Amino acid sequence: MKKLVIIPAYNESGNILRAVADIREHAPDFDYVIVNDCSTDATLRLCREHGLNHVNLSVNLGIGGAVQTGYLYGIQNGYDLAVQFDGDGQHDAAYLPCMAEELIRSGSDMVIGSRFIEREGFQSSGLRRIGIRYFSCLIRLLTGARVTDPTSGMRMVNRDVMAIYANNYPKDYPEPESVVAILRMGKKVTELPVVMRELREGDSSHGGMISAYYMIKVTVAILLECLRKVHASC
Amino acid sequence: MLTFKLQFVIGVALLTVFAILVNMIRKRSLELKYALVWILMLVALLIFDCAPSLLNVVSGLIGIYAPVNMIFFLGFCFSLLIIFSLTVALSRLSNSIRTLDQMVALNEKRLQELESQIGQGRGEDTMKEGQPKETDLSGVVDITE
Repeated sequence: MKKLVIIPAYNESGNILRAVADIREHAPDFDYVIVNDCSTDATLRLCREHGLNHVNLSVNLGIGGAVQTGYLYGIQNGYDLAVQFDGDGQHDAAYLPCMAEELIRSGSDMVIGSRFIEREGFQSSGLRRIGIRYFSCLIRLLTGARVTDPTSGMRMVNRDVMAIYANNYPKDYPEPESVVAILRMGKKVTELPVVMRELREGDSSHGGMISAYYMIKVTVAILLECLRKVHASC
Repeated sequence: MLTFKLQFVIGVALLTVFAILVNMIRKRSLELKYALVWILMLVALLIFDCAPSLLNVVSGLIGIYAPVNMIFFLGFCFSLLIIFSLTVALSRLSNSIRTLDQMVALNEKRLQELESQIGQGRGEDTMKEGQPKETDLSGVVDITE
């Protein structure tokens, strides 16, 4: 079984080597691919110098486009499952083998690494947690599925979902929307408790305007997703 | 309400813009597809400029008191139409750029893999697919730029 770790990287020169080392040590049967989203720092140079397996985008596409590139890579190279893994050091590669096991054991199409099942580790700030709760409720309301951490970037999918995402993946803040998309197709999504670290370098603490945009964009996106035909062709 | 003088000035202005537009399309610096709305607008305005009485008729038809308001209203509608068509074009464009970028990246990757395979020659031990000579990162604890 071929397993792929997709590492979207935008200006991650301070973390990328650590992330790769983490994967090699704790998830040795996984291949990885770094998607360099047109970084302006030394990320690309580091990838080349250290011979890291990477794909290099020439125009910055944002997180959605970068991750989708990873899924395309996975499809092209015949991988059976793929997991998204942030290169910024908040994810822990030690969970990857467990997630793979869970994906196969439960026969689900997606396994999400959730911070809010065991409520351990970095729980993100209060306001953000409320936002995540809200998306969780919205998804429950619209699809009936229980997803405690719909914004988690640590998500493992099988080849089916990989193909769906390779065709269609939201551009920014893609996580909640893309979960809804596959839930509506009747795919099975399960969650596994994970612990996430607080970011070491770079900050993902969005400003007020950005979080307002985030909330509105994702809400509208989820609602629109529910208006789409289920087996819409790409 | 339209003096002949004003009618003339507007007419000349419209024709000038029209000429510029056509010239740009001719030189292919403007895509006809996106310029079509502009041409449509110019033609409509030109018609109303040549036949102001038509303006009275149309504004009376939809219940607008002053024909001048009809002009404003028309201009507003056309502007919205043009902006909207631009948004549509922009969405299409960003999707195509995304696809192109991804395909270029993946092809570049394949090309590199093929090149390194050729460089290695035959018979030598083939390394793990797509992962050329990796450096050992097990000692990496902290890398500060």
